[in-house]
Amino acid sequence: MALVKLVGLKKTYQQGKIAVPALRGIDMEIESGEFTTIFGPSGSGKTTLLNMIGCLDKSTAGEIIFDGHSINNLNNKELAEIRRHNLGFIFQSYNLIPVLTAFENVEFAIRLIDKHSKKERREKVMSLLEEVGLGDLASRRPNELSGGQKQRVAVARALIKEPKLVLADEPTANLDSETSQEVLEIMQKMNKELNTTFIFSTHDPQVMEYANRLIEIKDGMISREQRRD
Amino acid sequence: MKLLINIAFKNLFRNKLRTGVSILAVAFAVMVIVFTRGLLDGMVDSTYSLYIHYDTGHIKIIDEEYQQKQKLLSLNYTVNGLENKGLTEMQEDLAALDGIEMVVPRLKFGSAVSTEEELVKMLSWGVDGEKELAFTNIEREISEGRMVESGKREILMGSELLNKIDKNVGERVTMVYTTAFSSFQGATFDIVGKIESNLPLLNEDVVFMPLDTAQELLYLDDEVTELLLVTEDRNLTANYLPQLKNYLNQNGGNQYLVQTWREGSSFIQLLEMSEVIYNFIYVFLVLLASIVVINTMVMIVKERTQEIGMMSALGLKGSEILRLFMLEGSAIAVIGSFTGAIAGGILTYYLSGVGFDYSAAFQDIDVLMNPIIYPTFKFEHMLMAFLLGVFVTALTSIIPARRAAKLNPTEALREI
Ligand SMILES: Nc1ncnc2c1ncn2[C@@H]1O[C@H](COP(=O)(O)OP(=O)(O)O)[C@@H](O)[C@H]1O
Ligand SMILES: [Mg+2]
Repeated sequence: MALVKLVGLKKTYQQGKIAVPALRGIDMEIESGEFTTIFGPSGSGKTTLLNMIGCLDKSTAGEIIFDGHSINNLNNKELAEIRRHNLGFIFQSYNLIPVLTAFENVEFAIRLIDKHSKKERREKVMSLLEEVGLGDLASRRPNELSGGQKQRVAVARALIKEPKLVLADEPTANLDSETSQEVLEIMQKMNKELNTTFIFSTHDPQVMEYANRLIEIKDGMISREQRRD
Repeated sequence: MKLLINIAFKNLFRNKLRTGVSILAVAFAVMVIVFTRGLLDGMVDSTYSLYIHYDTGHIKIIDEEYQQKQKLLSLNYTVNGLENKGLTEMQEDLAALDGIEMVVPRLKFGSAVSTEEELVKMLSWGVDGEKELAFTNIEREISEGRMVESGKREILMGSELLNKIDKNVGERVTMVYTTAFSSFQGATFDIVGKIESNLPLLNEDVVFMPLDTAQELLYLDDEVTELLLVTEDRNLTANYLPQLKNYLNQNGGNQYLVQTWREGSSFIQLLEMSEVIYNFIYVFLVLLASIVVINTMVMIVKERTQEIGMMSALGLKGSEILRLFMLEGSAIAVIGSFTGAIAGGILTYYLSGVGFDYSAAFQDIDVLMNPIIYPTFKFEHMLMAFLLGVFVTALTSIIPARRAAKLNPTEALREI
């Protein structure tokens, strides 16, 4: 069974009187453990698609089936529950909480789930921070970290609750190519070690190379699909 | 919840100036409330006792007709006993009634002293010296000499009045007056005491003399112009009225008018009403301060839009985001209100010792009021102002907090 299944997914934004079609009928399946990239030029609908999969927005038509359940008829509160427990997010502009340390930012995501003791939490967060190479920087605030370091904190934050799926919208767009590679390698490593499913978007052909599955979209439609093993 | 409190608290320090201004606005409003309440309370307290001491008593008994002639100091409508009882016996009966502690008789009449340049008019009060000392705070106001004693031809008067007639304690003075039979007469008195009071009435107008002396001079044996009753509790005067009226009815005293201190003075009624009105002003003040807080928080929500989107993506529900921002607003409310309550408390405590000079404001108004107000310091005022500040500010912070909670996560997350 696919982890995510999209059937005829459409999204049209209403901008005043003008209807802007962002997604025009997307069908696809993502299997557990895949490391998929959504590739396409700016404005092609990548962010919109990731938002749909990430239960952040409602579709105009079509269906999203997440882990066997349709999410079409869920209310905001139920969608928040799914995000909280099953999804991890990585953003282009990191979006760390500036008043919290790297450690606390990562811890934040599991404190929302609250099934661990304080000590367990501490060990888990520290070992993950070490995993992404930030063991020494745990007590730094975001403004004391470089872009690459911030994004690695964000990766750790997305992974700490062991989600079924991690969504990353252009995670390397703000990073130079060397740092981008580091971050992508860490994501790849986590995908292999923890078998976490990743979907990330990019418009950078170099970044695309890391994925073992490629979905290219143009003007809100899938234009090409490719698997590499 | 602990997590949200922690973040809300840390967020306070993100823009210290802005947080500081918001806290200050709340603190200022709360401080003004504490102080105003203290001032008003002090004013009301001192005014109440002034009116009670020098005008109304707790309950005042006068002749019905005297009501209109009071200003003229008529001696034709006196309190002169009942059908079968003289004034002395009537006083004894009244004092024996339940809840009545003391009966204070006063005989008020006009008099004058002529100096080389002018005729100085004054207000003579024939009084029972011991009872005046027991009932009023006149003892505090006597700066030299003593209270008048019964059976003697002596007077006690204010320093301003003494200046006008150019006399001192120990000297003698001749006063002229009109008797109950409208004959014009004079008498000479020993000046035995001087009053130094902030109260113009005592300082410039009144001359105290023994009641029996006044009665003898005016040919008003066993008559006074008013009886003041002192009850056990001035707030319960209404409870003592029925039996009093009953007593007067049964003994043929229907010509007498019985007034409680509340009815006796429209200024007191005005003050009591203003206390109610001020309560609205307090709420309004805090609302003004919370506009500053709302404004700050609206800015904060705008600035942190992406952050709110991120939190939403991480699974925070709308209600949790609402709580996060309300916590931040409440922290400002609590810190501001606490600071304000303490500052207001200190200010009021200080002024309750040294007083607050109000005389300029009341220069041309003819009310019985002490021009120096001693604000009342009460912990209760601080607590009330603190709670009002916290409650109103925290509650109004729901406005910006709701904005944050209602943000659509995808809109919030969009790159700008
Ligand atoms: N909130 C919105 N309102 C109106 N139009 C939008 C909105 N979000 C995205 N769009 C439009 O939808 C299309 C797809 O946008 P997006 O998904 O952001 O593309 P990408 O992430 O690939 O750059 C674009 O034409 C964009 O202008
Ligand atoms: Mg995009």
